[in-house]
Amino acid sequence: MRRGGVPPPHSGGQSGDSVASAAVSAESASVQAGDTRLFKYSLIAPATFIMVLVAVFPLIYLIVVSFQRLSLSDDITSFSGFVNYARILSDARLWDAVFHTLFITILALPIELLLGMLLAYHFLDDRPLKRLFVALLIIPSVISPMVAGSMWRLMFDDRYGPINQIVSWFAGHRVSILWTIDIVWAYPAIVITDVWQWTPFMFIILLAALANVDREQLDAAAIDGASGWRTFWEVTLPAIRPVMMIALLIRGLDLVRLFDSVWQLTRGGPGSATETISIYAYIRGFQEFDTSYIAAVVVVLAILFSVGLVLVLKRMAIAR
Amino acid sequence: MRTKTRISVVGGALLLQLAALTASAEENAAEKAVDAAKQYSGITLNSAEEAGLMAMLGINITGPEWKDLTGIGLNVTEIPFEELFPKQMLEHKAGSGAYDIMTIGPSWVADMVRNGALEPLDPYIEKYGVASEFDDIAPAFKDWMTFEGKTYALVVDGDVHLLYYRKDIFEDPENKEAFKAKYGYDLAPPQTWKAFGEVCRFITDKYAPDLYGAGLINTGYMHFFFSERFRTYGGKFFDPETMKATVNSQAGIDALTDMVNQLDCQPPGVQTWGFGESLSALNAGEIAMTISWPPIARWAQGINADEQALSWVPESQVIDKIGYALPPGGHPELASGIMLAVSPDSKNKDAAYLYIQWLHSKQESLKNVMRPLGLRDAFRISHYESPEYQALWPTAPDYLATLRQAGEQGYSDLAILETYKYWDSMGRAVVAAIGGKDPKQSLDDLAAEWDGLTEQIGLDRQKAAYLDWSSKPSAYRE
Repeated sequence: MRRGGVPPPHSGGQSGDSVASAAVSAESASVQAGDTRLFKYSLIAPATFIMVLVAVFPLIYLIVVSFQRLSLSDDITSFSGFVNYARILSDARLWDAVFHTLFITILALPIELLLGMLLAYHFLDDRPLKRLFVALLIIPSVISPMVAGSMWRLMFDDRYGPINQIVSWFAGHRVSILWTIDIVWAYPAIVITDVWQWTPFMFIILLAALANVDREQLDAAAIDGASGWRTFWEVTLPAIRPVMMIALLIRGLDLVRLFDSVWQLTRGGPGSATETISIYAYIRGFQEFDTSYIAAVVVVLAILFSVGLVLVLKRMAIAR
Repeated sequence: MRTKTRISVVGGALLLQLAALTASAEENAAEKAVDAAKQYSGITLNSAEEAGLMAMLGINITGPEWKDLTGIGLNVTEIPFEELFPKQMLEHKAGSGAYDIMTIGPSWVADMVRNGALEPLDPYIEKYGVASEFDDIAPAFKDWMTFEGKTYALVVDGDVHLLYYRKDIFEDPENKEAFKAKYGYDLAPPQTWKAFGEVCRFITDKYAPDLYGAGLINTGYMHFFFSERFRTYGGKFFDPETMKATVNSQAGIDALTDMVNQLDCQPPGVQTWGFGESLSALNAGEIAMTISWPPIARWAQGINADEQALSWVPESQVIDKIGYALPPGGHPELASGIMLAVSPDSKNKDAAYLYIQWLHSKQESLKNVMRPLGLRDAFRISHYESPEYQALWPTAPDYLATLRQAGEQGYSDLAILETYKYWDSMGRAVVAAIGGKDPKQSLDDLAAEWDGLTEQIGLDRQKAAYLDWSSKPSAYRE
């Protein structure tokens, strides 16, 4: 039986006949290959169509809207030039939101990494009730961020929350920390909430990575008299670096999109001091109906962050 | 019987019959709505309402009652107040028809009308309404319902800020003597913000930490509180010629600075207080003054305290101890208020209108404004004068008289194009100052943001809208 694209073994005959026969075989193989390709494409076509519909079409529509003037007061769908893009340059509140987002990311990410690493190391070895504790540790990560934000808002409440009460017990007098109103404390409140919720995510990924470090290398380092820190730095870290970078990338992207917990804690306040990009976009786009302008903002930020992401991925590839 | 006497008797009888006929012919908007609505029995209306207590009225009381009367079901969707405007606008822009009945604030009417998001109600009023019942609406709230000569909503809640104070503290002879000796005037509900600060400080100095002079709301709706204070200080929102924002005028700086400075005579952590915190503190007897919405009076008096939905309200320790006055400056903010409107996307517009008319009617609205549940407050003259309401608790007549006066002297909310954006930025600026930002800087930033908004919206358009609003007596009460 002939396999697709593979001509049958030839057992002799005139050379002209062989060439003709080979040509016919090649043509049949080509047709068959085309049929196969068509079949493959037809199999993935529905999924591709849905992806185009869900991802590509909205993106194109977003770009189109960014060149219109749709707002609460205007309904201009004709091309309006770069008026929305020009506005971005002078929108101090937008760039403040970008800064706030990056600031929270820079604060929260290393803390989550460090705490996650410490927890992973702690639970690397077998311990009594290890599985139970690991399961309990993961719970914050499965809670909805909105719920987590609400919970922490109550915890931080001056009148009814336990945190100020506990601090007051230790201080010996009433301590009134305005976690969600005072700008000095609002960022710590946000970071605490985020670290509480997402350190378990780091922990579980790093735990898996640490568990897969080559034992022989660790034993060899121990035999050679390497200190714990040196072993970590020169054996463990290089081994887990790819997984760690992926975890950092995922958390970094999550932090750039941060909305839920900040919305519940501070609504972006006091003023707009903790407004993240997502909160700013929500307020402008869905509360104030500045539709075209926010479309332009999203396009610009998507380009900027995509460039940043590509650079990070390249750096990761180089490191590998 | 003499002829003259006969004529008098017959004439008198005729007059009596005429009066009886007139009385029986006086229409009842509630009954008319119910009768007309029965033809739509079996349908369900979707109503967007403010989440929490306001929605509970529809869910627990008026919805089931309406169904019993007409066979029309009511499905209430709860939406937080700050999302009512955007969510309802979004649904309209999407053409979803998600809501038949909408809950709107007076300041939103212009924007919603311009976007075709409200159904004009005049044809329905003509068909089903009772004209005399509109005469009963207090003048302060009548304006809310119309825009450019057409009616778009029916008011169901007449909001206005009142000052609630502890009569027992103010009337204590020892306090009166000490205060007079220190400040040179009588201890009384403060009529200026300077006096407010002095009264607050006096009470706090004497009673803290058991009782503080005041506990004001400092988060949520701060644009209302600042708008009110700002105007009592003589502030104007815009220069009417140039439309430059003047919120950062000296009046604004003084108002916001005093607002921040007067926090120090209030309980620790008051900067984070919202409506619930100030209510619970007043009920618990922890503060001597607060400024808030009308339901506070009913809660402080323990009205319907056994209602399950109100179980979160601390049991009032101040029953019969609360007095009512106009806030300092004498011109309280008519802070939002609630109206019900029909969505132009509704497939049941007549039925939706009839439910609104029923709620808005003299007969039904009186019941609702007497309940703490539902957060509905007096908006009809008949509410203020109702013997039933006045008998609800001993000082209810004072409360109703003060409410009426507050409505008559109150400041209307700023209502221009895209008011929502101006409100949002004002609220943020005020909270930032309360959180520690320099008041002048907050207001300078606010003014710059407002100027930017005006430029985006269109200076001429916004100027026309502002001049229209500011021409009303309730804008600045000059």
